[in-house]
Amino acid sequence: MESYFGALGIRNRVLRASLVIQVLNRARRRAEAEPHRSTTELAAEEMDQVVTAWYGQVLQESPAGAENRLSTRGRLALLLADMPGQWQEQFLRPGPWPERFVSRMREVYLRAGPDFQLSKMAPRPIHFGPITTFANFSRLPYARMVSIWLLFALLLTTVFWLTHRVF
Amino acid sequence: MFLFFSAAVLMTGAVSMIFADLLWRTGWSASSTLLLGLFVVLFLLTAIGCVHALCGFVLRALGDPHRITRMVDYRARSLEGTSTAIVFPIHNEEAARVFEGLRATYRSLEKTGHLARFDFFVLSDSTLPDKWIEEERRWCELVRDLDALGRIYYRRRLNNEGKKSGNIRDFLNHWGRRYRYFIVFDADSVMCGETLVNLAKLMEAHPYAGMIQTVPALVNAASLFGRIQQFANRLYAPIFITGLNFWANGFGNYWGHNAIIRTDPFMQWCDLPQLPGVKPFGGQILSHDFVEAALLQRANWQIWFAHDLEGSYEEAPQAMVQNAQRDRRWCQGNLQHGVVLFARGLRGISRIHLLLGIFGYLASPLWLLFLLGFNWALWFKGQTGLSEITVRSTLFPELTATEQAFLIFVICMAVLFLPKVLALLDLLLHPARRRSFGGLAHAAAGAVVETLFSALHAPLQMLWHSKFVATILLGMGVQWGPQKRTADGNAWSAACRAHWQHTLIGLGWGAVVWFLDPFAFWWFAPVTAGMVLSIPLSVFTSRSSWGRRAREAGLFLTPEELAPPPELAELNARMAALEKTGATVPPQPHSGLSQAVVDPYVNAIHVSLLREKSLNPEYLETMTRMGVGKPEVRTLGEKLLTQGPESLSAGEKLLVLSDAEVMSWLHRQAWLRSRDTLADWWQETILSYAR
Repeated sequence: MESYFGALGIRNRVLRASLVIQVLNRARRRAEAEPHRSTTELAAEEMDQVVTAWYGQVLQESPAGAENRLSTRGRLALLLADMPGQWQEQFLRPGPWPERFVSRMREVYLRAGPDFQLSKMAPRPIHFGPITTFANFSRLPYARMVSIWLLFALLLTTVFWLTHRVF
Repeated sequence: MFLFFSAAVLMTGAVSMIFADLLWRTGWSASSTLLLGLFVVLFLLTAIGCVHALCGFVLRALGDPHRITRMVDYRARSLEGTSTAIVFPIHNEEAARVFEGLRATYRSLEKTGHLARFDFFVLSDSTLPDKWIEEERRWCELVRDLDALGRIYYRRRLNNEGKKSGNIRDFLNHWGRRYRYFIVFDADSVMCGETLVNLAKLMEAHPYAGMIQTVPALVNAASLFGRIQQFANRLYAPIFITGLNFWANGFGNYWGHNAIIRTDPFMQWCDLPQLPGVKPFGGQILSHDFVEAALLQRANWQIWFAHDLEGSYEEAPQAMVQNAQRDRRWCQGNLQHGVVLFARGLRGISRIHLLLGIFGYLASPLWLLFLLGFNWALWFKGQTGLSEITVRSTLFPELTATEQAFLIFVICMAVLFLPKVLALLDLLLHPARRRSFGGLAHAAAGAVVETLFSALHAPLQMLWHSKFVATILLGMGVQWGPQKRTADGNAWSAACRAHWQHTLIGLGWGAVVWFLDPFAFWWFAPVTAGMVLSIPLSVFTSRSSWGRRAREAGLFLTPEELAPPPELAELNARMAALEKTGATVPPQPHSGLSQAVVDPYVNAIHVSLLREKSLNPEYLETMTRMGVGKPEVRTLGEKLLTQGPESLSAGEKLLVLSDAEVMSWLHRQAWLRSRDTLADWWQETILSYAR
């Protein structure tokens, strides 16, 4: 729990400790009803529920059936509203919250880009001229092997020419 | 243009005649034919460079009227109603540097008061999971810091189809219609806000301009090699580009970044076709920029160089080896242009740009062949035992063969070094520019040392490029990888691995020439010296400490070093601060994955972006093809939790990271599960958040 609050940027140790106690109290109450489950597991679940429910209250969204989405949105809102920097004392506190904090949490959301204006670029046909034939030469069967033999023949011819003529 | 290239042809013709006469005097042979043919091609290329400098120098002295910035009073233009996207295509780059460059550019643009007319897009093609997550995290931090939500966007593609040009095409297909112009940045580009505004105004003032390419100044070099390249770029580029702009005259070229492009015609005409045939020449066009420029010009759109617009910057490799690695990619791309060269409908001027690009690399094997041909002639002379008596020259009857050879050597050197002298003279004519280099004495000293270094570096470039050309022709492909651009210096072991062949070639070649003709050995010494000294040269020039010492000695000073513009000053200050906090140190393996799963905020950013991505039908289709949403991904997620990240392949990690629901589930599971069901690796990661 402490790690999670640390990961959320709650640097104030007193605040962090009080949040942990708050969650532990809830977990303890649940442990009485569910004695077969480990306290660590229950505490983690309680922490998740407390935090997600709080997101729901601040963002005015119901967590029922959309915990993952609400959790993501809530964490993102906290980050963009700069909770770790400016609003630590508001975290997990029951409302009402400062107007600026609430409006910031509800308004900001992340966008990778503006609205799409979809179109489709398409290449114009280009005639590459005689080079096309040459470029496709290597597709011919055995082209590479024959080319190597021809190069070898050329090399022999050159050596013969160089060694059998007066320069 | 006719006059421009005719001047080069005229020079080449005259000097080739003298060279042919010399060969004839010593008795014509097969090696003479080879030498003369190669000499003509190589000298023509050098002469073209020289004419560029000569023409540029004269134009700059007279006040060049051919500048796009001089044609219309563009500064009074309003940007009302215009929209420009600034795009950063990236691929596994150093995320901190990319986003700090963007920050510097954004803040500079903000100061102009025209920020509302521009949007920023980071277009990621990163394939490494850790890079992907780091980019998302840094983007979010930047957006929050600058309060730039809805102004700076981040989009990562799910596949790398079409590489960089495909990345831009994907952006245009989704958002291109929203923007009248777009400005392409490289991962290490920085531009002043004023320059960006001026580019947009220039486009408004020139409705027939399809593109305006700025001339980016190399900056932020720390190593000796980097500083030498930076100095050469800043000192010599203005006269060369002025010459280039003169003959291109509205039909210039595109260098892939730091350029503004009119969106509509680009979308209409510049989607790249697949080249016929198979690799290395067929298939996807690698060096897309030249071809896009050619296609735009084919549709009668103008392309200008705004070479007098300051405030456009980029960085360069910091060591010889990294420089060669970059050249390897460019070489294949440029050689591939040989296929495009014959495409019907291209303008002749576009073919010249393509041809010059090809010869930028082909010149090296030709030079190597020329030197080998010269050795052949020496060997032949030794083998035949023919006398040294030469016939009288028909062109210079009073000169001996040695004197005539020396005359040719002097002419070649003059053509080679004239541009450097002209660049220094240009400083004399422009006092403000002269001061920006720390004065003429410092600039001249820098030019001399740079020339000495170039003399040693050129033979290595020759060997490298020759090898690149040969391997490419043999069908060995090249990967589109990121470039290492830090100034951390190369180790001796790495330099030995990169240069042992050069050293051996230098020693062997020197010995052979000495054996053939000890007198000729000394003429070959500059070539072989570069090879023999390649290992120490590579190590010492890659070091920042040597770069610093050179600066303390007043060598290779550039305007941006002596008076850094605010954008670069801010960038460097922030990068230095990040280095101090260790933020620029390469992260631990799987750090991105662990953050995306465990960190509540990073997970929220990642999942939100994935969910938004799935709203795009095209991306959704790709995600479905990848297997996103299938129960198997959840199984992989379970494996990830119970066995740790090492248990998944790179592809499996990417698949898990691409599934929003699984990532959201993983986050909750990592925090809710009892410890004994999690791999040790996760337990340690979770505990680290308590500290």
